[in-house]
Amino acid sequence: MLNYLLKRLGLAALVVMAVLLLLFSMLHMIPGNPAILALGTRATPEAIAAYSERMHLDEPVLTQFIFFLGNAVQGDLGNDVFSNRPVTAVIGERIGFTLALICTGMGWAVLLGVPLGCLAAVRPGTWIDRITGVFSVGMIAVPSFLVSIWALLLFSLHLRWLPAIGAGEPGDLSDQLSHLILPAFAIGLGWVGYLARMVRASMLEVMGEPYIRSARAFGLKPRRIVLGYALRVAILPTITLIGMGFGGLISSAVFAEIIFSRPGVGKMIFDAVSDRNFPIVQGGVLVATGFYILVVLFSDLLIAWLDPRVRASL
Amino acid sequence: MTDDTLLNIDGLTLDFRTNRGRVKALRDISFPVRKGRILGIVGESGSGKSTVLWSILGLLAGNAEVMAGRIDFEGRDLLKLTPEALRAIRGEQISVVFQDPMTSQIPVLPYARQMSDILYRRTMSDNEKRKAAVEMLRRVGIPDSDSRVDAYPHEFSGGMRQRAGIAMSMLTGPNLLLADEPTTALDVTMEAQMIGLMRGLREDFETTIVVVSHNLGLIAEMCDDVVVMYAGEVVETGEVHDIFHNARHPYTRALLECDPARIADVSRKLPVIPGDIPDLTRPLPGCIFATRCQRVMPECSSLAPPLVPRGTGVARCHLLDGPLADPAWPPPPEVPTVARDAGEPVPPQVRRTAEPLLDVSDLNVRFRTMGPVRARIRGVSDPFVDAVLDVSLDVKPGETVALVGESGSGKTTLGRTILNLQQAAGGVVRFEGKDILGMKESRFKPLRRDMAMMFQDPVGSLSPRKSVRALITEPLVIHGAEGRNLDTEAERLADMVRLPRGFLARYPHELSGGQARRVGVARALALNPRLIVADEPTAGLDVSVQGEILNLMADLQAEHGLSYLIITHNLPVVRHIADRIAIMYLGRIVEEGPAAEVFAAPAHPYTRALVDGVPQPDPDRRRPPAAAIEGEVPSLLRRPTGCDFVSRCPLAREECRMAKPAHRNIAPDHRHACLFPLRKTPELTETA
Repeated sequence: MLNYLLKRLGLAALVVMAVLLLLFSMLHMIPGNPAILALGTRATPEAIAAYSERMHLDEPVLTQFIFFLGNAVQGDLGNDVFSNRPVTAVIGERIGFTLALICTGMGWAVLLGVPLGCLAAVRPGTWIDRITGVFSVGMIAVPSFLVSIWALLLFSLHLRWLPAIGAGEPGDLSDQLSHLILPAFAIGLGWVGYLARMVRASMLEVMGEPYIRSARAFGLKPRRIVLGYALRVAILPTITLIGMGFGGLISSAVFAEIIFSRPGVGKMIFDAVSDRNFPIVQGGVLVATGFYILVVLFSDLLIAWLDPRVRASL
Repeated sequence: MTDDTLLNIDGLTLDFRTNRGRVKALRDISFPVRKGRILGIVGESGSGKSTVLWSILGLLAGNAEVMAGRIDFEGRDLLKLTPEALRAIRGEQISVVFQDPMTSQIPVLPYARQMSDILYRRTMSDNEKRKAAVEMLRRVGIPDSDSRVDAYPHEFSGGMRQRAGIAMSMLTGPNLLLADEPTTALDVTMEAQMIGLMRGLREDFETTIVVVSHNLGLIAEMCDDVVVMYAGEVVETGEVHDIFHNARHPYTRALLECDPARIADVSRKLPVIPGDIPDLTRPLPGCIFATRCQRVMPECSSLAPPLVPRGTGVARCHLLDGPLADPAWPPPPEVPTVARDAGEPVPPQVRRTAEPLLDVSDLNVRFRTMGPVRARIRGVSDPFVDAVLDVSLDVKPGETVALVGESGSGKTTLGRTILNLQQAAGGVVRFEGKDILGMKESRFKPLRRDMAMMFQDPVGSLSPRKSVRALITEPLVIHGAEGRNLDTEAERLADMVRLPRGFLARYPHELSGGQARRVGVARALALNPRLIVADEPTAGLDVSVQGEILNLMADLQAEHGLSYLIITHNLPVVRHIADRIAIMYLGRIVEEGPAAEVFAAPAHPYTRALVDGVPQPDPDRRRPPAAAIEGEVPSLLRRPTGCDFVSRCPLAREECRMAKPAHRNIAPDHRHACLFPLRKTPELTETA
């Protein structure tokens, strides 16, 4: 078990490195000198040279990368090119908004999608199954940024039920929650469909397994068979899907944060890319990658905890 | 309904709605189940025997529709009960033992939880439920049951799982226990143990048992009463002795005569029931067996046969009563009623003096158990297990050699290694004198024309998207059949395996088990091989069909001089087709010799356990309950020191634990690996 954990964490470190290397080279391949961007077009060549030296911009890319890694390990992700504040601080004040958005988005999708899938699987061919089927496909097919725009137009502009932009007043929890509803709805909607379909498919498969017939033959209550037996097995592939889904949600969050002007990490990365604000981009991607890897690791551990066969093979 | 009837099925008629139309799966099924007795329902696949079982429980598939009839249990008609009332009976008064313990127990819950769930209707504390579970596991023979109760199903071996399955079904002390093919998924030695266990439980708990099986031996050994089903009808019922010694329905008679375990004379030709089960969407008005009956009369296909009672049961046949009755029917048991396949018995073709076609000597196959890094960390110097250990074996031209062993004996690994599908750790494999072990695939490929494989799962090993024509010519295409007309070849091969040419356009899912097996044979034959390695050639086939395949294999051998290496666990079948038998246990050959001799006078105690382990289809030859050898095949990781069989051998002595016995010859062609063989050795000659 400990072995497995160490192995996974080691792999995670390698993945982070690979992602950063890829990002680093991409940022240096696109045109635009970050020193000119930071200092303005009228900066003297001396100032640019001084800045470049301070930021190690004159070194080869690989050396720059090693500098960055070395600092990152010590918790220093560099400074914002414009405000000169530490990247960690900039990310720190924004990450909460993104985490709240992603978790709420996935949370409501799980709370609605899993029971819907279960219900559809328990009563295959009935109206609830058909409606779930049609709506799932519809929800999956519409991109989350369109949902965002429509939700914004309908609920904020037209009906005026919910606020349109921002993340709410700091310290005012109910205001913050009311600002969270629309973007979370928008990014979670497709996942309701995904999860409902996934749970339905694996539930249908499991409900046909001989051990479910055994449970019936022993006279267990239908509710116990569905929730305690079938779902217990059928949820395992869904957990993997949810874990990987967090990766997709990070990119959905970028759109939602732009459309709803939420001050989250996604919007921050988007702005930083347009501004060639390299340290912010690097830091943002590092945090996003790390978050994703941790979620996937957590989902794998959850499966191991739920499935003794997986546990035995660790 | 008399007083001693626990369950009475009367006129049960049931349809399945399918896209081919209504399949009339059960038609007018009637029989009583008597209190405290074991009733066996026997029939081939498609007979509806399992459907009867699931009707009793009310757990039929969604497309099933009960058209008529009643199932009376303790004064109530089970077919009219509400789902709630039926659920109250299931698991409490009627319980079930399932066919495959590998799939019928939920893998993610420990036994303690699964068993206390069954007791949910009882007002017991969790602790009392756990105690009850431990007690029942102990009763069915699970050691250390107070700790093993927390195990998950995958932590148990196959035999232990089935024991646990029986414990789960007996936990509530049901009046009626239904068992659906309870030993089909188990090895021979396990089967014998389960039969003993269930008979013992019947004595202790006075439970009535209904067991469904296609295995005549199991039925004869376990049951008091028998119901014979064919194509959705009950054709005959009666007490076990009457059914096995005085069968009155031609189908019962034929079924018994086809069982290889009952056929005393060893010839290569086995009896078969020609034809297939009729199409049940449009069953004939007359007798359902008329299309395959050896005593069919013109009236049989139009006139419903009469139900003729006798002391302990009924039979449904024109021969027994009415204007068509034949007083000479049934003939005495020794007179065969089923024709053996056309053609003379095949004379043995083996040239004993010839150079062996396949010659395996000292072959070893080892599997890695852990990675090299972990092995070093844990200080394991030898992180391997021996799946095949020092095996020597040869197959002469025209000879059939059977490799027999239980699951985990390494027989399949050996077969794969010979065909260069598995790497060996040492030894020599010669084919026609050429050393072929570890040959590169590019060099080995031409040899694959001479060595063909028949796979175990006939349908699963055929691509579902290819027609039979494409499937049987596939080997030709792979090995470059330049200038050959594939259509002609397909027809030639279909004729060879006696598959009607119309079948060439079909797809695997449209074939019956026997037909799919013929396609497998045709594929193996496509390149005119000299050796065919057949992995369980009759597994999953009905008794009446398995004879057809074995006869076909024998004919092909006679015509083409083929050699067979047959890998199987089925001893009764092997006795009829093999010239020589090699018995494997834990990767080692423990005995090898001429088939008849090995059967008649086994030298190794394991061989005797296997031979005795097959339940005899004769209720007069029941074994005492303690006859089965104990325990299970140990894991390769825990290979016993000394003789491999020492942990289960009833005759083990101190010396057996010291060193592995070497192979010794009793006769020039009969050798064994036992220090204290059951047969006296004339001269002790050690072989290398």
